[in-house]
Parts: sequence; structure tokens; C-alpha cells
Amino acid sequence: MQHVVEASQVVKTFVKKRPVNELVRHPFRRAERVRALRGVDLRVRAGEIFGLLGPNGAGKTTLLKILSCLVLPDSGRAVIGGEDTVHEGRVKPKIGLVHSDERSFYWRLSGRENLRFFSHLYDVPRRKMGARIDELLRRVGMLEDADRRFADYSSGMKQRLAVARALLHDPPILLMDEPTRSLDPASAMSLRSFVREELNGRDGKTVLLATHNLHEAETLCDRVAILVRGKIRRIGTVDEVRRWDVDERRFRLEVDRWPPGFRGPCRVLSEEEGEGLRRVTIALDRDGRLDGVLRALLDSGSAVHACDRIEPDLEEAFSRILEEETEAEATP
Amino acid sequence: MIRSLRKILAFLQRDFLSEVSYRLAFFLQVAGMLLSVAAFYFITKMMNPKTEGLDGIEPFPWVLLGLSFQYYFSTALYAFSAKIRGEQMLGTLEAMLVSPTPTSIVIFSEATWDFAFGAIRVAIYLLFATLVFGVKLYATSLGTLALGVVLTLLSSAGLGILSASFILYFKRGDPVNFFLSAVTTFFGNVFFPSALLPAPIRWVSNFLPIKWSLDVVRGSLLQGKTLRDLRGEILNLAVLTLVLLPLGLFFSRIAIRKAKREGSLVQY
Repeated sequence: MQHVVEASQVVKTFVKKRPVNELVRHPFRRAERVRALRGVDLRVRAGEIFGLLGPNGAGKTTLLKILSCLVLPDSGRAVIGGEDTVHEGRVKPKIGLVHSDERSFYWRLSGRENLRFFSHLYDVPRRKMGARIDELLRRVGMLEDADRRFADYSSGMKQRLAVARALLHDPPILLMDEPTRSLDPASAMSLRSFVREELNGRDGKTVLLATHNLHEAETLCDRVAILVRGKIRRIGTVDEVRRWDVDERRFRLEVDRWPPGFRGPCRVLSEEEGEGLRRVTIALDRDGRLDGVLRALLDSGSAVHACDRIEPDLEEAFSRILEEETEAEATP
Repeated sequence: MIRSLRKILAFLQRDFLSEVSYRLAFFLQVAGMLLSVAAFYFITKMMNPKTEGLDGIEPFPWVLLGLSFQYYFSTALYAFSAKIRGEQMLGTLEAMLVSPTPTSIVIFSEATWDFAFGAIRVAIYLLFATLVFGVKLYATSLGTLALGVVLTLLSSAGLGILSASFILYFKRGDPVNFFLSAVTTFFGNVFFPSALLPAPIRWVSNFLPIKWSLDVVRGSLLQGKTLRDLRGEILNLAVLTLVLLPLGLFFSRIAIRKAKREGSLVQY
């Protein structure tokens, strides 16, 4: 399997700037250090959408900046398309970066003028420039608004223009830093489907997406890594990550009555009344079997109207990892 | 080379489009320039044309060229750092630096419009002085003038890049700019001849490119001097350019590398 983005033992520590008055009062005091990445290992396969999940301050943006040659790691190695990111001249043509910052354009210029300026920086051949800009504007649904000033665009339009900019030089790899952060649900959904269907599905681009939106990761990503305090805690398919460390199976039952003092190979997690039925969520014991629970219920005279399996979700897995992390931190 | 030139032109076009979107400010700026020329005309009426160091040039055109080139130099000093800071604040620097364009070209191109506008400004000053106040300009040695302007541009770019490197490196106010601007204005033969300065400090002006730039420009435009007459001044300016430009580029590389290591390249 070909890996197009690789990070091996990447470490990055930032030194906090000290105000001048503090420098004068305590000239020899050591500046505070923030460990943003603590030995990150990551491999992204060609053609996949890979989600980098983590809470704020986890190190997602720092990792993306290292991969896009904007920040140098203290140690470790970052490789894009087989090239070490220290050779930025060879790496940059292979990547397109979509920022979460919607300001990153010239507000008094139109969308088209902005793209034309960046086309020069992205080495788009002059004779193909006009056609390329039109094609991208059409694909992101901005052709009709291309000649309006950037300042007049909505957040969704600004973000779509940012995607168009990242595609100007047709890079095989897209690095996206929380691209839907400032979008309303409809715009976010439209951008996600564009990434999934057009960029990944049709163009075969590899996408590395940093997000703290778990729903986005679940609907969009083939694989995810959970990054907490600068370290990757879990990595795998969305399914693998959400089932990680989960050894109980959950079911939601709809019954006409729940026998008082019911004892079966399960724990009752919740009970609620609705439409004349009781909805009960149970977790099977490690060796428990669903048919054992159902038989016991039927024997007690209850009628079972429905039984659905509840898959563990990413949010739960995420919370569990954060809890583990907090406990580890609290342990002396 | 052609690709780099196209990129520089793209910066020029971007800033031109931005500038013309503020039409009123643009015209007010030109009107302000014309008024300041008129003010200098009357101020220099009080000066003695026989003052030491004027070399027989009338005070008004002498000061006018000093004023326009001093503006040019201070543009060079401030433009790079101000533009880089502006791009950092706007969030566009990151978008530019992630493109395949080398960082040095991005930094160098940032000030293209300011240099071009500086040249337009000098031209407006001279046109106004010629048409309204009857200043006589010599067009006999345009090659020498062009050489002087190019060297002025490159040496001032060296100083400007040095100051931008300071901003990238320290992320604080810019004492380099302040110091150079003040020193250039005082010692640089701008508003009064450096020959008037006390002998023990007069030597400072010899290390400032603006002094030699002004000697070349005044000599060729106001006295019709040729390359042969001005070869000493051109040589001094060329030596300062050869020191300042590589020095600026060298420090900019160090500053960029440090900023990348610190992760502060796109912060402000």
C-alpha cells in the first residue's frame, strides 16, 4: 500500500514569547515551553480521506503546518509524496492547503482576481490560467459570483473559494484544516459532499482533514487518527476506532412491559416510555447472548416489538480517550 | 527568470487593483504632494543659493530631489516590513508561503507596487516643478540617471529586506527602520548639504546610499553631468549596493528559517 503522507516521530515544542517587561525583570528565567507534538507517527494512503481528530490545542494544525512546510519539526521526519518536507520546492507542488481562516484573501479584489493572483504563485501556465480558474469556479459553484468583491461573499462562498485556490495547481494531496468550522449546516454538508464525491471520488485526491467535528469525520473519512496533547492515541478505520476497547454490545428493545426485577445476562442502561411501549437500552454481559435475554423476556410474558443494535459512536470513543488522558495526567 | 518576473508583475497588478479601489484617497494623496512641492518652493526662497555644498544648484530643485528620493528610500525601508506585517494580519501570508513560490520572491515582490508608486511620485514632483515653477531638467545623461535609479532601488531594497527580516525574526516594533530613517534624513544630503555638518560627524553620510544616489540624480538631472563626471559617485553607490543587498537577503534567509523553527512565520 502506497503512503503519500508520512510522519515519523515528529516532535515540536514552541517557546512562549515573553513580554519585554518580564524580560527586563527576569532576564535569565527560562521561557515557558509548549509541547505541541510528542512523537507523532502517521501514514496516509494514496486516495483515502484521512481524518485527524482532536480537541482544540491537540496539535492538529501544527502537524498540518509541518506537512505543508510552514513549520520545521524539532525532530522526526515528515514526508509528502516521497519527499522530505525540508525540500519544500519539491513538496509544495504536491499539496494544496485549505485554511480554516476565511480572511486569507484580498477583500477588495474579486474572487476571480484573487484566484488569478494565486495562480501566478502556484505556477499555473499563463495560457491555461483563465480556463483553469473558470473550471474551478464552476466546480465549486462560484462562477456566477466570481466578479463580485471577496468582501461581499458569505462564509460558505469564502470557503469554497479557498478550496478552489488549493486546487489551482491540481495537487494530488489536499490538507484541510477545519474547513467547515465557520459554515452553517447546509454549507458544511455541501462542502463535505464535494470533498467526498468530487475531490476524492472523481479526482482521486488524497485528503488529510483536521477536524474536531466528529460527525464530519464519521461521514467523510476512511480512516481517522485521534490526536490528544500532541500524541496519536488511536488510529484505524472509523469503525475500528469507535469499537476500540468496547467489549459490550448494546441493544434497544421495544417491549409492551418490562418485568419488574428482570434478571438476564445484561445490564439495563436506560428505560423510557413512548407510544404505549417501553424502550429499554441494555448492554449484554461479556459472555451474554441476545437470545438468552429475549427468551427470558418472552417467558416472563412480555411481547418484544423491536430489537435494534446500537453501534458505539465516535463521540463515545473520543470521550473515553479524553477520560483516559485526564486520568493518566492526574496519576502521579 | 521569466516566471519570477511574472510573479513580481502579479504582485504589482494585485496592489494596483487594490489601490484604485480607493480612488478618493489616491487623488487626495496626489493633491497633498502638489501642495508640499509648493510649500518647499517658498521655503527655499529663504535659502542662500551660494550655500556651501549646493554646487551651484538652485535651493528649490536641490531640496525637491532630496525630498522625492528621501520618500523613495523611506518607502523601501517601510514597504517590506509593513507589507509582510499586513499579510500576516490579513492571513494571506500563509496562503502565499504554502505555494511553490520561494519565500524570498514573495518577500521581494511584496514591495513592487510601493517602488512603482514611489517612482510615479518622483515623476509627479518633477513634472510639477518643471511646469509650474520653471525648474530646468537636463535629459542629456538619461543612461547615468537610469543606472543611478536602479542602484538606488537595489540598495534601498537591501535595507528594506534587512528591516523586514527584523520583523520576521523578533516580531516586535522595528528599530532598524526608525534608526535608518532618522539617520538617512539627517546625514543623507536630503534637506541640506552634508558639507554643512561639523567635520567630525560628516563622514557618516559617506556610508549612506541615499547620499550617493542624490549626488548622481542631482548631477545628471540638474547639471547635465555625464557618467564620466559621476563615475566616483556611481562606484560608491554600487559598492554599497553590493554590500546591502546580499546582506539583506542573507538575513532574510536566517529570519525565515528561525521563524519556521519557532512556528512564528505566519503569526503577527
